[in-house]
Amino acid sequence: MILKLSAINRSFGAIQALKKTDFEIGESEVMGLVGENGAGKSTLVKIIGGFDDGYSGEYTLDGAPVRFSNPSRAEKAGIAIAQQELSLIPAMSVAENIFLVGDTVPLFSTKKSLALKAKPYLEEVGLDKVDPSISVNRLSIGEQQLVEVASLLAHDPRVLILDEPTAALGESDSVRILEMVERLAANGKSVIYVSHRLDEIFKICHRITVLRDGISQEPRKVSEFNVHSLVESMLGRELENMFPERMELTGTAPLLEVCGLWPDATVEPFNFEVYPGEILGLAGQLGSGSGDILSAMGGASGTREGNIRYKGKEFLPKSPKEAIKAGIAYCSNDRKLDGLFLGRPIKENLTSPALGRISTYGILNKGSEERLALGNAKKFTVDVTRMGTEAGLLSGGNQQKVALGKWLSIEPNIILVNEPTRGVDVGARAEIYGKLREFANEGKAVIFASTDIQEITGLSDRIITFYRGMQIGEIVLEDISATKVLEQITHPFGVHQEVKTA
Amino acid sequence: MSKRLIANARVTGLGFVDRLVRDYSALVVCLIGLFLVVFIVGMATAPNFLTIFNFKTIIRDAALVGIMAIGLTFVTLSGNFFLLSMKETAALCIICFATSMSSGYGFEISFLLTMVLAIIAGAAQGALIGIGGNPIVVTLGAAGLLFGLGSWWSDNLVVSFRRPHGAEWLGTGSFLGLPNITIAFILIAISAECVLRYTNFGRQVYLIGANRAAGKATGHENFPMAIKVCIIASVCSAFVAIAFSAQVSSAHVNYFSSEFGSSGDMTIMVIATVMVGGNSIMGGFGSTLRTSSGAIFISTVDNMMVLHGFNSGPRVLAVGLMIVFSIIVFALVRRGSRAQE
Ligand SMILES: Nc1ncnc2c1ncn2[C@@H]1O[C@H](COP(=O)(O)OP(=O)(O)OP(=O)(O)O)[C@@H](O)[C@H]1O
Ligand SMILES: [Mg+2]
Repeated sequence: MILKLSAINRSFGAIQALKKTDFEIGESEVMGLVGENGAGKSTLVKIIGGFDDGYSGEYTLDGAPVRFSNPSRAEKAGIAIAQQELSLIPAMSVAENIFLVGDTVPLFSTKKSLALKAKPYLEEVGLDKVDPSISVNRLSIGEQQLVEVASLLAHDPRVLILDEPTAALGESDSVRILEMVERLAANGKSVIYVSHRLDEIFKICHRITVLRDGISQEPRKVSEFNVHSLVESMLGRELENMFPERMELTGTAPLLEVCGLWPDATVEPFNFEVYPGEILGLAGQLGSGSGDILSAMGGASGTREGNIRYKGKEFLPKSPKEAIKAGIAYCSNDRKLDGLFLGRPIKENLTSPALGRISTYGILNKGSEERLALGNAKKFTVDVTRMGTEAGLLSGGNQQKVALGKWLSIEPNIILVNEPTRGVDVGARAEIYGKLREFANEGKAVIFASTDIQEITGLSDRIITFYRGMQIGEIVLEDISATKVLEQITHPFGVHQEVKTA
Repeated sequence: MSKRLIANARVTGLGFVDRLVRDYSALVVCLIGLFLVVFIVGMATAPNFLTIFNFKTIIRDAALVGIMAIGLTFVTLSGNFFLLSMKETAALCIICFATSMSSGYGFEISFLLTMVLAIIAGAAQGALIGIGGNPIVVTLGAAGLLFGLGSWWSDNLVVSFRRPHGAEWLGTGSFLGLPNITIAFILIAISAECVLRYTNFGRQVYLIGANRAAGKATGHENFPMAIKVCIIASVCSAFVAIAFSAQVSSAHVNYFSSEFGSSGDMTIMVIATVMVGGNSIMGGFGSTLRTSSGAIFISTVDNMMVLHGFNSGPRVLAVGLMIVFSIIVFALVRRGSRAQE
């Protein structure tokens, strides 16, 4: 074992995040680290990576006890960590971000030479098409995630820690990450891989460590698990159905129609409609336009032309404020950017879109605020005892629940959500799917965009597919299958045409 | 290669400074301790410091800067940074008020006129900031404009009006032994805190300040907010200008630049007060209660230095030190509490 931790304790005030946790990883091994939201996975890998040394317990590297007081010391020892929340500097170039820390670059170097040096690392993560000299904020979240990994490779680490690297990525980007991990392991590196996507875990990991409520279980070979037994040891109970049962649709008149709405970022205008009681899935890879149409409908981004028809009126919300007034809730896929008030209490986050509902003549009514926030927190399995803590202190998956859960407070008629379960654990994911279904069953509608094929096929009543800014097709319930969706979102015009458009 | 790396990593004992910096609470305690020692020694050795009369003086001195700082706190909390035009707004307003008084319009009309002027000035700056103008650039420009208007209007001369002018109650009057301006400060401080805590508007101030993009996404836009908070700050400036003018029965555009208070420049004093109170410069965290405490704290230190016979140079220096000190302490305390929560 090159790295071993034993009996690690770490608490934050009253919350004990890790309880006598053990962990180990061997040479050129891929170790999966799984567990529910808030189980302590990020806390554990932060300790390993030197971001947190407020723990007690023993940490040995190659048999010698170590204690890293800061990340750069861990880095020197060959441990690199890609954290759950991105740490790139948006205004700097890709190459500059890659060489931001560490001493692998001469004191004076031009942008050009830096870009040249960055190239191999970008190729390694499959970003060979990206120009290293453009600034990071011009990349998609998925690409940014890959840049972050590339910046770690620049340090030539022995142990690489990836904390939910694919949570924000689409299918094809995820595959790049997975391939990269396998390549690294073959080259003798050890990788700690944290993820809620169990298919990935099964695909690339050699062994799996399960954390439950901060308590670790003995690592076991991947072959000793199947999906059911893994989920059971994560949750401590069996998970019956991931996806809720679909209901018969009764409404014949559409609740909302998209009439030739053309978001700025897409190639053509889109047309589709959603019926009362329906969950409509928009399938597409990153940059396919499936997310852009949602933000355009929610008033959050610009459009060239077109409208939506809703409640007998043709209009287009010019801002999220107007959308909210019309009963349309739009939840973006970037919770850190515009989904959460990280420094404010959870309670304030949960009621933030509905201040009008919890105040009379502009005076806040603390009682009804409490009730509203508690109700929604319970629905989304957010820990109700922590309503006063800053949202930024929650684990990643719990943040996502708050970001989505807050929209129930305005009692919307339509929920538009881009990536509803980014970083959410299996148990809570089933919970969120259940809530969305419940919401639709009240005669309302959900339109969601997702790059997760399982989610698209499991939750949707009907699917619209998108490809590179174009609307491709519609798949009705009877025809829904993963292969069909994949085909339409990856090469809808057949393999040969695809080469031409590319 | 790996041997060398391991040797590097096997750091068992940490240096003293390392540990101090890592363990924020220790550093904070050290800094605060140091400060308290200076403070207590200063207090104990200053004649007349511990008298009720002197405490009243401290609060009265804190009042004018404090009221303006409370107004500015709304701007800062909402994430719109600072208005660099606080003293120039006050300068134009004091000219407006005094001119109107000396033309015989009486207190009420003059008061209203001045407030209208302040609202217009605030709204214009707020609108520019709201559509995306940089607060520093906008308010620096506005500062020049407002000051220019004031000095043009008054020909750069002192405008005075004769007593009795009906505004003595605000300038020099008192109630139950407390100067009325002190009472106004206390009332404004309490109501500002209530607005922030218990109203819809106050909540929006915090939310937009904490994350403007998330604010927009949840229906709270910065444009109307910027206008509102700038008006609040402007109106507070105007109120201070009126109170000061009522006190001295005159006005001059330079009253808030050189002759005012202890440390000269009013804008700097006001910003210092907001920061010494420990409000987050980026917005979203803080309160007017903190600002009021900041005002009283600065005024206490200043008072102590006056009693010790320091002239204005060291006193300005002290204000600067307090800003630096409070930024460090509050930043560390906040980080420390996060790590421990
Ligand atoms: N700085 C902190 N202050 C207070 N509590 C914290 C802090 N960091 C983590 N926690 C708490 O510790 C627990 C474990 O959090 P952690 O981030 O490790 O979970 P996780 O397993 O990574 O979950 P997820 O899958 O959602 O990312 C959570 O309850 C979290 O709220
Ligand atoms: Mg985590």
